Amino acid sequence: MMRGIWNRETVALILLAAALPVAATWLWEEGVTGGSRLLLAVIVGGLWQGLFTALRAQPPSAAGAVSALIIAMLAPQVGPLQFVLGISFGFVFGELVFGGWGRSVLSPAVVAIMFLGFGFPSAAWPVLAIQIGWATIPAALLLLAFGVLPWRVLAGALVVLVLAGGFSLDLLTSAVALALVFLVCDPATAASTSLGRWLHGALFGSLIVLFAASWDTASAQIAVSAALLASLSAPLLDEIAIALWRAVRRHRHG
Amino acid sequence: MGPEVVREDCAILGLRKRGLTVPIRTPLPLPTTPETHITAEAGLSLGPQMDLRVEPLVQLDDMVVQGQPILRDRRRPECIVTAPVSGRIIGLEIGAGRRLTSLVVATGDRLEPHIYDAQQARDEMAGGSGSDALRALLQGAGLWMRFRSRPFGRVPAAVARPAAIFVMGADTRPLAADPRLVLDGEAGDWVKLGLAALVRLCSGPVHLCQNSGPDIVPSMAGVTVSRVGDLHPSGLAGFQIYRHYPAEPDRPVWDISIEDVVAIGELLATASLPATRLVSVAGPGLRETRLVRCQPGADLRELCYKHSKPGQTVILSGSVIDGAPSRWLGYHDRQVTVLDSSNSRPQQHWLDAALRRASRPEPIIATAAVEQALGGLMPGMALLRALSVGDDEAAQELGALSLLEEDMALVDYVTAASPRFSDLLRASLDRIEANR
Repeated sequence: MMRGIWNRETVALILLAAALPVAATWLWEEGVTGGSRLLLAVIVGGLWQGLFTALRAQPPSAAGAVSALIIAMLAPQVGPLQFVLGISFGFVFGELVFGGWGRSVLSPAVVAIMFLGFGFPSAAWPVLAIQIGWATIPAALLLLAFGVLPWRVLAGALVVLVLAGGFSLDLLTSAVALALVFLVCDPATAASTSLGRWLHGALFGSLIVLFAASWDTASAQIAVSAALLASLSAPLLDEIAIALWRAVRRHRHG
Repeated sequence: MGPEVVREDCAILGLRKRGLTVPIRTPLPLPTTPETHITAEAGLSLGPQMDLRVEPLVQLDDMVVQGQPILRDRRRPECIVTAPVSGRIIGLEIGAGRRLTSLVVATGDRLEPHIYDAQQARDEMAGGSGSDALRALLQGAGLWMRFRSRPFGRVPAAVARPAAIFVMGADTRPLAADPRLVLDGEAGDWVKLGLAALVRLCSGPVHLCQNSGPDIVPSMAGVTVSRVGDLHPSGLAGFQIYRHYPAEPDRPVWDISIEDVVAIGELLATASLPATRLVSVAGPGLRETRLVRCQPGADLRELCYKHSKPGQTVILSGSVIDGAPSRWLGYHDRQVTVLDSSNSRPQQHWLDAALRRASRPEPIIATAAVEQALGGLMPGMALLRALSVGDDEAAQELGALSLLEEDMALVDYVTAASPRFSDLLRASLDRIEANR
């Protein structure tokens, strides 16, 4: 008779609220250019969501706005036509064809940014100001307080990054922090078992360490590439965790 | 089996405190002593899982005494329903497929309860071997139907031997009564007798689940004490079975509430069935919270109407998360929840409603709330995903066979899921059962 509140859209609205301090900081830095990129990303993403709602009865999600913000912040600097193409590819093939937010394997932001990064390799990657890294801290705290952010993923990644960086935060650049909180710890695409989450976070951290040591490119590309590979392996990590859990349970209960 | 008592303190430092609190209010103060309230009419509302095909043992307008067998299942003679109260049968309707449509008993004068022949079972418990007389007594007196066998949640077969029995001495449903309240007076001795009877029925351990308070019974041979937390869903039999002794098709596990164990003890000691059941009547639709001893199948309108707030109210048999609107107290229910109508769903605009109905259901996002709603024990999201896509094999491997609909009620509440996971789990269990 009574229904609770933790449906998909509540989670999406909390994600949106957590993204507000980051968005405000970024807009403060970027000004009108950033604002127009964000507006374009929101409009294109919203159009595709609306189209899928009309044609396939797939309810739209407020999480699309968060994805649009991350695309606007981290995508390489390409022309408007390429930008629209990248966003469309990210939203349609990253999320909507799988059934919308919550049913996809990858975040549309990761797909869109990687599409633009590999499709237009000469485009310059954005460099995020240090303040944006700081702004992810209240975002992460808010998400942790509501239990939306899987803390094991965050802890796994931070442990690896801090240990590999020799107990300094050099590896945790603004782009890495942003990708960690909004792309890797996205509750819809992160691993869902306890062990799987630790491994997921640790894998992201390890990939960052590996790329930082051997790949001479912008921090944003490193962060999103690591997020892509970590998200792609999340189902495998879950499968490993469940196989282990079943082995332990068979041993204990016969 | 030698004496074994295993203690598990889950609540050390609150580290393993798992579960959720459902925000529902009830008028204070909470009563601590029950009042007796025998309603003028009593009915029978069996759950759909009972699947009783009725053969009446009495006629309309017959006089019955409390505890007398009145209905029997045609295919399974071990399933017997007894009269909840002494009086006259004023309603007895049998519908299609000989399923019971309604049974109503009007309370008459207080008479001596029906007396069963418990001597043979007592002798068997004292010295004999086997459990034939005990089974015959429990089946004849209708207490056999109080057992629920997992997997699948049916009444166990007459000759079945469970691998374990879980006795639920704790109840963590929102606004539920503390089951310890049924253990006052002679019931303290009867519960020991009942537990001894369960040990005899069962080929493995009898798990007594209780909260962190003092021990319900001193250490007994064959009885293992399991401590459960205070937060829902840790007090549900499903999660305790899942944790300590997972049910399999070839390893059935039964569960029974402690009040029914007391009833078994009372039947063995006095040869009659208890006349009342402890029921908590609570919820935001009441002016005062009540704790009553009423007959099984009591009339919920009569229990509530003098104490309801003015205006429209909804009376649920069961808790706010797994109860259903009903006229009579449900067969396994020990609580009544009264909601005021503002808690029921508001009227939706027709366009909004049509759009929602037409759209595909939204998926569940793996938040901490979902994890806690499953007790934090299992790869919960994997189980929920297996249930939503109808992957019975995966659900079975993730432990769905230990669970029943009531165990999914908290997830349904927390996520407002549609379709409900309770229904998905029942459909999955039915398919697994049919394909065996």
